[in-house]
Amino acid sequence: MSDDQIRFENVSRFYGEVLGVNRVTLAIPPGITSLVGPNGAGKTTLMNLMTGLLQPSCGSIQVLGVSPSDPERLFRMVGYATQFDSFPKGLTGYQFIFCFLQLFGYSSTECAKLATHAIDRVHLSDAAGRNVAGYSKGMRQRIRLAQALAHDPRVLVLDEPLNGLDPLVRGETISLFRQFATEGRHVIVSSHVLHEVDMISDQVILLSGGYVVAEGQIHGVRSEIRERPMQILIRCDRPSAMASKVFEQDHVVEAQLLADGSGLLVKTSDAERFYRMLNQIALGDIRIEGVAPADDNVNSVYEYLIGSQEGAR
Amino acid sequence: MIKHWVSQTLAVMRLELRKTFFARRGLWVYLLAFAPVLLFVAHSILAPRDQDRLARLAKQHPASGPALRSIRVGDSREEVEKAGEPYFQRSGRLRTEGVRGDTLAKYTDGRSDFYVLFENGSVKHIRRIDPESLSQGSLIFATSFQTYFLRLAVFFGCVGIFINLFRGEMLDKSLHFYLLTPIRREILMVGKYLAGLLATVVIFTTSAALQLVLMMWSFDHTSIAEYLAGPGWGQILSYLAVTALACVGYGSVFLAAGMFFRNPIIPTVFVLLWESVNVFLPAILKKVSLIFYLQSLCPVVAPTDVKLPAAWKLLISTVEPATPLAAVSGIVVLTLLVLVASGIRARSLEINYGAD
Repeated sequence: MSDDQIRFENVSRFYGEVLGVNRVTLAIPPGITSLVGPNGAGKTTLMNLMTGLLQPSCGSIQVLGVSPSDPERLFRMVGYATQFDSFPKGLTGYQFIFCFLQLFGYSSTECAKLATHAIDRVHLSDAAGRNVAGYSKGMRQRIRLAQALAHDPRVLVLDEPLNGLDPLVRGETISLFRQFATEGRHVIVSSHVLHEVDMISDQVILLSGGYVVAEGQIHGVRSEIRERPMQILIRCDRPSAMASKVFEQDHVVEAQLLADGSGLLVKTSDAERFYRMLNQIALGDIRIEGVAPADDNVNSVYEYLIGSQEGAR
Repeated sequence: MIKHWVSQTLAVMRLELRKTFFARRGLWVYLLAFAPVLLFVAHSILAPRDQDRLARLAKQHPASGPALRSIRVGDSREEVEKAGEPYFQRSGRLRTEGVRGDTLAKYTDGRSDFYVLFENGSVKHIRRIDPESLSQGSLIFATSFQTYFLRLAVFFGCVGIFINLFRGEMLDKSLHFYLLTPIRREILMVGKYLAGLLATVVIFTTSAALQLVLMMWSFDHTSIAEYLAGPGWGQILSYLAVTALACVGYGSVFLAAGMFFRNPIIPTVFVLLWESVNVFLPAILKKVSLIFYLQSLCPVVAPTDVKLPAAWKLLISTVEPATPLAAVSGIVVLTLLVLVASGIRARSLEINYGAD
């Protein structure tokens, strides 16, 4: 039976007495999935576990139905760009990808074709003949990305892939991830840059202290955080009237008029009821120009779930 | 499938050979391997010069060879002087090979050197230095090969090359690139081992071959032809085979040391001590060492009259050398066992650079 998910079943990994990740159970569907969490949260450990660079202390992992302990099958469909910034010595960018592909058992002609294509995809053709040791940080990041995608994998695992990239290349790289995702493939990304995670992710996995704090689509994760009222920004022509209307609802806990008088920020404990109520108001005499969730993003979710824990420590 | 594994093994070997042969940190392996070659170069230059010097001295101070050979301890000075003219003479409190005298005279017939030590006008001691023969040369080579080349050069060369195959890449933080490819870990281990083996065999057999050529260099064509027609080719091939087998055996041991130990110096020191004290080990334990089998395969037995204290000599245990079949089988079996263990270890290999 084929499986299109990456599954972790009660996986724990300890480094001696130090916790890496603990009792992780996940099912990651295709699309772009971001692993988010502070340093030491277990992001890289999770990636190393799913690629077999580490073995779990307990639990089991399956990547599209294949165990990471079977590298012969696993790496036909998985490409991993690690964050280790070191390369085999004395190789040019092209030679690095070429030699890497030779280990797959491809013929020299195939290796040459795939290496050239991968280097083109990360826009590094001009520097392909230069020694990797002379590359800038961004170029080294891109050649690692080329190495990960050179064999056209179904699962791309990327540890901090946008680090060191300039804004133009960042944009191109994100488009590349998006292209992979729209083809029904997995792109697993770890990142510290929350607004980028917000922009590119189909789903997020929030990690803290080796535990999975939350997982799923951002909206779903946010709505699960019931102890924090949802913040909704409303643009309308009569903010004061709108404020008095919304205050009639028992689930509205706060309404704040915007300083420029263009609307108000409402905090509600039940977003669904609030949106239904808003439809009725829209039929009345207040003209609503726009409604948008104000904290339905990774930044806020991170702040609510992890920021508070960090603060508590 | 086997064809695929072979192509992957060759790909690993190509990558590793480039690193092994041209690594800057491997330069000392070349020095270690070719240091004895330099000694044999010096010998091949100096030996003919010494012969020329004696021939020149014999012309200036003629002496009869048969007469010099007939000198005996107790002969009078006058009898000795009948043999010819000394090229060197000195009086005083003198000592030759631990024997004291009052006059030393040196003679030569153009080939051999004769040191005659007198005391109170009669011969007390004679030392004759004959020109080196090929059989003496091969004995010198056997001693150098078994005491330095096998025990130190090949041993530490294999330490430098094989330990770095895995441990070196852990330290460079580049081992993960191999582990991100669809290659069985056992195939990776075999590819690396074969690359290390090819490199060490090429380096050390080249050195051994050069040493043998230089050992013969200073002899005339007739002696060399006689030597090669006799035991020569057999000995040369045996030395090259022993060198290759040493790389096979020590290579597997140090590959495993690099995989099993975070600090491979500890097992290296242990193996070095074990191989060094082999001469003192009881027969049963002697057979659990590589050097025993390697020495059993050497075509010439190196002289054992080393200047050891008498008490130490009592500790030396003698044992019949292994037959060639047993020796080769012993090394191959040990190598296979170590490689199987390394293959099992490779399966559970993890990338945890922070801990290394």
